[in-house]
Amino acid sequence: MKRKRIVSNAVKNGLLALYALFALFPLFWMVLISFKSDAQMFNTTFIFNPTLENYDAVLLRTDYFKYFIDSIIVSVIAVLISVLAGVPAAYALARYDFKKKENLAFTILSFRFAPEILVVLPLFMIYQKIGLYDTYFGLIWVYQLITMPLLIWVIRGYFEDISVEIEHAAQVDGYSWWQVFLKRLLPLIKPGLVSASLLAFIFAWNNFTFPLMLSGTYVETITVASLKYIASDTVHYGQMAVAATVSALPAVIFALLIQKHLVRGLSFGAVKG
Amino acid sequence: MAKIEVVNVTKRFGKFTALKNINLEIKDNEFFVLFGPAGAGKTTLLNNVAGIQIPEEGLIRFNGEIMNRIDPAHRNVAMVFENYALYPNLTVYENIASPLRSPLYKKDNATINREVHRVAELLRIDHLLERLPSQISNGQKQRVAIGRALVRDPNVFLMDEPLAHLDAKLRHYMRSELKEMQSSFNTTCIYVTHDFLEAVSLGDRIAIINEGSIIQVGTREEVYYTPCNEFVAALVGEPEINLVDGRLFVDNGKYYVETLEKGYLLPLPESSGIVRKLVDSEVTEYHIGFRPNNIKYTFEKKDGLIRGTVYGFESIGNKAVLIAKVGEKYIRMIAPNDLKVKLDQAVYVELPIHKAIFFDAQTTNFIGTSDEAAIYRLVQEQLSKGVQ
Repeated sequence: MKRKRIVSNAVKNGLLALYALFALFPLFWMVLISFKSDAQMFNTTFIFNPTLENYDAVLLRTDYFKYFIDSIIVSVIAVLISVLAGVPAAYALARYDFKKKENLAFTILSFRFAPEILVVLPLFMIYQKIGLYDTYFGLIWVYQLITMPLLIWVIRGYFEDISVEIEHAAQVDGYSWWQVFLKRLLPLIKPGLVSASLLAFIFAWNNFTFPLMLSGTYVETITVASLKYIASDTVHYGQMAVAATVSALPAVIFALLIQKHLVRGLSFGAVKG
Repeated sequence: MAKIEVVNVTKRFGKFTALKNINLEIKDNEFFVLFGPAGAGKTTLLNNVAGIQIPEEGLIRFNGEIMNRIDPAHRNVAMVFENYALYPNLTVYENIASPLRSPLYKKDNATINREVHRVAELLRIDHLLERLPSQISNGQKQRVAIGRALVRDPNVFLMDEPLAHLDAKLRHYMRSELKEMQSSFNTTCIYVTHDFLEAVSLGDRIAIINEGSIIQVGTREEVYYTPCNEFVAALVGEPEINLVDGRLFVDNGKYYVETLEKGYLLPLPESSGIVRKLVDSEVTEYHIGFRPNNIKYTFEKKDGLIRGTVYGFESIGNKAVLIAKVGEKYIRMIAPNDLKVKLDQAVYVELPIHKAIFFDAQTTNFIGTSDEAAIYRLVQEQLSKGVQ
């Protein structure tokens, strides 16, 4: 019996290791490429002369940090606005009964259905007309299509899980409505809020279509800027790898920071007991 | 400590009317029980007193002051919710301390500490103070919820079925505990329940409520001995009261009721005044109520008793319910637990006509009772109240 368990454990771990290799290999490959010079790009695999040339080229000799900051500004503010508007909206959808409530909730979700490419062209025309083209606000606004539905739907589930008597109890205890919300409800939805915000941030950060079409000179996000390393004569794979590696960092760092909330946070609200 | 008045309160939810023109006056320091079946509107009434819901019509008054426009926080009420409504992210200690930390009823830390420990000891949950609500049993959660109310000094305690979710043993224990606390409460309490035993053992007065209307308000004796209609009679008492059809029968100036079988006559006791009540009511068709604990039976044939067959026998703890089938009627009565009976065996039933409650067969309303002792007690009670 004991031997059987050892074998089964070994097989399990072996399979997991195989999967980890499969999942992480592209990332590993990307990091590897980022240290290769253009000359060694195609004729070496693992053994090469590592160089920081690409990092130097991308981080110090281009506007990479400006793009990075642009991405941060647009994504973070987009998520913040979604939180400020989405949490009350989720509360209303969870607590109040009003006409066409489910239709409204579904409409909000449906913003995520249409491919972005479908709406981006008319948006481009409209943005040019009303002066939102190539502005922070324009991008932040259009990002609400991505971040808001996600937040509302996750947080709504959380509010629905909190029994309404808890709010009543807090009111009877002597708290005003705002204090009830801040002191009693907010701590209860925090795991959902944190994880949904992170996911919304990642989606906003990764977005390519909207910044490609709706910005470009004054505001430029990192996803779009990464294309610059494809020159007309040659493709600087090493520099692209650097750009991609560095741009992946914020999401990874945030995810690590709030790891404990992440899986539980996203599934808890959705699955009702 | 307040007198609570509910005046002409009507509460609607869309087209559904949950409370219909409710009028109640709850005295200062009274333990007032709202008793009724599920869906009667008990919780709604409590929520309206607490201010969680606002009535469409009518007034809620505390000590004469109109409360309709005052939010729950400023009414200074303490409420125990049926589903506990504990804050899952806070410890038992913080849950109980919550009202004392709120901006309105803020106390200093030393007072909070002292008060929390006082009620925790009273409720015997002082060893659980550091736990989270998810780490304690339902009975303990219930006591934490009660503790969160007791820690305060409110106008009124509102308790919504605080014992409903407990197992039988714990419920019994908590009932006696609550009763003990009631004497030390020294404050007004409105207590909602659908359990008859809780209602009669705790309530100074009981309001029976059904389908959004108050059916009867009275002491436990009043609702037990003089229920205002068959609904109240059936609700108050376990096992349920037996209701049999009866007809007034006059022979040679003597009054009888004919019941169960044609020709089976029970002589009405002359002295109790029930005869006059029946005659005055000008009703001749009755439903007559007999409490199961008053009915006598024997297995030997005896004159004047009516014959039936044993239909069922079930134990309810320290006693049993014997069900006899007489004609088409089933008569429930209390029997000792160790009684040896066989199904379909003959049984002779004596209906206690001197302890009967008479209802109008048409309207089901109360006409009178032949229970002299009960009437005497009730009158005494009224008189002593009048003296106060």
